[in-house]
Amino acid sequence: MAAFEEITKKIRQSAKTLLESGRVQTVIGFRTASTPLNAAPVFIRSAEDCDKLIWNSFCRLNLANYLPGREGKVALVTKGCDARSAVGQVSENQFLRENLYLIGVPCSGMVDNQKIEAKEPRPIVEVEESDGVITLKGQDFSTSVKIEEVLRRNCLTCSNRTPKLADELAGPETSSPAADDYSDLKALLSKPLEERMAYFKELIKDCLRCYACRNACPLCYCPVCFVDETLPQWLGKSDDPTDTFIFHLLRGFHCAGRCTACGACETACPVNIKVREFNRLMELSVETNWNYSAGLSWEQKPPLTVFQVDDNADFIK
Amino acid sequence: MTEYIVKESNLTEFFQAVSQNRTLLSPVGQGEKCRLEPTTPDKIKLDFANTHLSPKASFFPQTERLLAFHKDKSLPNSNVYQDLGDKAQDCVLFGLRPCDAKGLTVANKVFQNDRFVDPYWKGKYEKALKIGLACLKPSPQCFCAAVGGSPFGEQGLDVLAYVKEGGLGLKTLTEAGEALIKSTKAESASLSNEIQKLEQEAYGLQKAEKDSYKVITERDLMEVYNDPHWPFTAENCLNCGVCTFFCPTCHCFDIQDEQSEKGGVRMRNWDTCMSSLFTLHASGHNPRPTKVERVRQRFMHKLKYIPIKQDGVFGCTGCGRCVVMCPVNIDIRDVAAKMCRPTQTAKV
Amino acid sequence: MNNPYLPYPVRIAEITVNDDERNLRTFKFEFLNPGDEEKFSYLPGQFAELSVPGQGEIPIGIASSPTEKGYLLFTVNRTGHVSTFLHYMKPGDVMGIRGPLGHPYPFEKLKGKNLVIIAGGFAVTTLRAAGVWLLDPANRANYGKISFIYGARGPSLLLFLDDFKAWEKRDDIDVFLCSYKEAKGWDGLVGFLPEVVKKVCPPADNAAVFLCGAPVVIKFTQTVLLEAGFKNEDIFLSLENRMKCGLGICGRCNVGPEYVCKDGPVFSVAELSGLPREY
Repeated sequence: MAAFEEITKKIRQSAKTLLESGRVQTVIGFRTASTPLNAAPVFIRSAEDCDKLIWNSFCRLNLANYLPGREGKVALVTKGCDARSAVGQVSENQFLRENLYLIGVPCSGMVDNQKIEAKEPRPIVEVEESDGVITLKGQDFSTSVKIEEVLRRNCLTCSNRTPKLADELAGPETSSPAADDYSDLKALLSKPLEERMAYFKELIKDCLRCYACRNACPLCYCPVCFVDETLPQWLGKSDDPTDTFIFHLLRGFHCAGRCTACGACETACPVNIKVREFNRLMELSVETNWNYSAGLSWEQKPPLTVFQVDDNADFIK
Repeated sequence: MTEYIVKESNLTEFFQAVSQNRTLLSPVGQGEKCRLEPTTPDKIKLDFANTHLSPKASFFPQTERLLAFHKDKSLPNSNVYQDLGDKAQDCVLFGLRPCDAKGLTVANKVFQNDRFVDPYWKGKYEKALKIGLACLKPSPQCFCAAVGGSPFGEQGLDVLAYVKEGGLGLKTLTEAGEALIKSTKAESASLSNEIQKLEQEAYGLQKAEKDSYKVITERDLMEVYNDPHWPFTAENCLNCGVCTFFCPTCHCFDIQDEQSEKGGVRMRNWDTCMSSLFTLHASGHNPRPTKVERVRQRFMHKLKYIPIKQDGVFGCTGCGRCVVMCPVNIDIRDVAAKMCRPTQTAKV
Repeated sequence: MNNPYLPYPVRIAEITVNDDERNLRTFKFEFLNPGDEEKFSYLPGQFAELSVPGQGEIPIGIASSPTEKGYLLFTVNRTGHVSTFLHYMKPGDVMGIRGPLGHPYPFEKLKGKNLVIIAGGFAVTTLRAAGVWLLDPANRANYGKISFIYGARGPSLLLFLDDFKAWEKRDDIDVFLCSYKEAKGWDGLVGFLPEVVKKVCPPADNAAVFLCGAPVVIKFTQTVLLEAGFKNEDIFLSLENRMKCGLGICGRCNVGPEYVCKDGPVFSVAELSGLPREY
């Protein structure tokens, strides 16, 4: 794993070159956040601002989210999963390939703040990171945590940590762990319908319908989301569990075959719902039926958006 | 008014006494599960930072059914909406942080404004006795001092409590609060020196400077509004509703009807100014069409419009929830700092 | 306690289709319960929430004047979910009306002044109400000269034409009706409202203006008025914004610190000049 200082330096250098040469007008990357255990999106337009760019274990959001509808040429700082999302957006005609430049960061996984909080519940004021260890500092304490012990769930089963389709890499390739085997979901699927339903209902019981998951998701670029439609209104707007459930269920379906397991939805969720369970279920189905994973080719379209005569159709009865 | 102490060994008995004939609500659970919920006198926590969601939900639930009607033409009043009432119960809240109690007073002035009284809010708000718990150790994101608050703030409270050596210190602030504490076995004491000392210490632990945002209220409205920083401030925004849903003073709602073949209800649901739908006219015109206008609206509302309408009191109480919860780190402290300074170049 | 969310039950007494395109209908409502009419005490310029059970509410300016007893009038343009549903309702149907909401035109403050009322298109509704109210014998003597300038895209889109035709014959109000375009059978004024105002507007001395219409009409008419010597303090507009509660609580209709529902909808141009243009 290249030290984050090295990666940061490389990102800044690339950004500077891209802006100075006029190859792009904006570089979207991460800056230091005002709160600990966090990194914030930043939009850089001039070479002298490039030193705001950073890389660390908190660059959890997926910046491809800012691409659809954006004007001008853009360079995007991406992890493996984010690069796949950006590629997906190009293949879904949401952004022009020639307007996009991907600065890929070979990723070593991002940190899950909930796991940190479980290890250190006291308020953290400052964080330092080096050699795979995070030092958490509070008003009167200091605790060290190994990064690999607090990685996000999706990062633990990410098979595309190195963004291979990026225009350049900001560090040496990293090795990826074994892919998600969906064993937990397969076990769930073998259970009776009521139990499966109960599992998902329990999962979303704290949902406030703030839609942070949707709005942080690079796949959710519909100009008007079905939950917001008023003519006709598809969905009730109260905290009725059925309406909330339909929102999550349909969002899951809408993302089928397009999700790259970036986990931005779970990062954004203020009540820590494992939103990705719905997406994982869909990805399991798409991988099983079409042997397809999103964002691994600039040309390929998600299987549910295309029709081929030899499509597997045995689910039609 | 008067000061009292309750010994640690008498705490359960004290909470039993204050919740006589009333529901007791207090923070339960840890961290992001910490919520203001009905609880029992033996389970009162004194060691929490603050509740994850603000206490507004106890007075202004995310969904509240206001009216109902039936469609049975054989009965009287078919298709005529009837009031469902506010269903308020007498309760006592223990453990409100001063920022949140102040937040409720800001919302209260909206729900009971110069022309109209919202009966659903009023019933719940006025049937709740509020015992605050002062902050001895502010969290890193706290900045109540900057917006005119205090870790020992008294606004909106009937009683202010604080954890002291060997038990709780209490200061009664209203007649109702005084009557409540008098009905318990709390012993009277003289605490003003200690309170003053602890308040100064707690101020000192905050990074925020006292009243540092006051200058915003003195600046020209349109100058703050037209400052070129807004497009850059808003650039990160995802337009989700996290900041508004967690804010103790955000009170905006949508009114929705739902019906079946037999009848229907009219309800209100939390809404958010971050959504483009919030202001969208039926004609398609939108007075706040992009996230730039919407983000500006939220901060102008908190830090400029509410002070104009509420005698200089900010619509932000410095609780820091939005600071922590915003997925893209739009930090109201940074935005307030930009709103304080005279208009300069667009660079941020 | 009075619940401001609870509508008064009303019955649709009459529905008039106003235009050839069938997008505008005027609804005449009667209160179901005796006594409610008295409680619903209003002045022209105020609005109410038309409350359709199971569908929702829409804020609409009151087109009738309180001097017209026994009913309320509202003209509804079919645009969204509730207005479309309302257009399919029938006389005899029961629904609700919640209000009156907002502030009326500042009649009290303007006593002794000449009034110029300018209306573009179907925004005429509350101005028609103002006209009826001002012409009532109880009120007429409190004001000077009254002029009413009213235009629409075509003659068929001029609402309440019977009232205006009747007023044209009176000598205590000057009525100027115009069509923005030439039309068969129309022998009245022709021209875009601001141009007509330029031609016929009475002097600005001791006069105030009520002006309602589409944003473009307001924008250009305002310029004409300022050129004619009217002051921003004397020009009153009625704003529209998306609303839900109508009580200054739900938060969406604000223009700066002011809520269009509770603090408006009538504002003088001077009051608006220091506020964001979020309407």
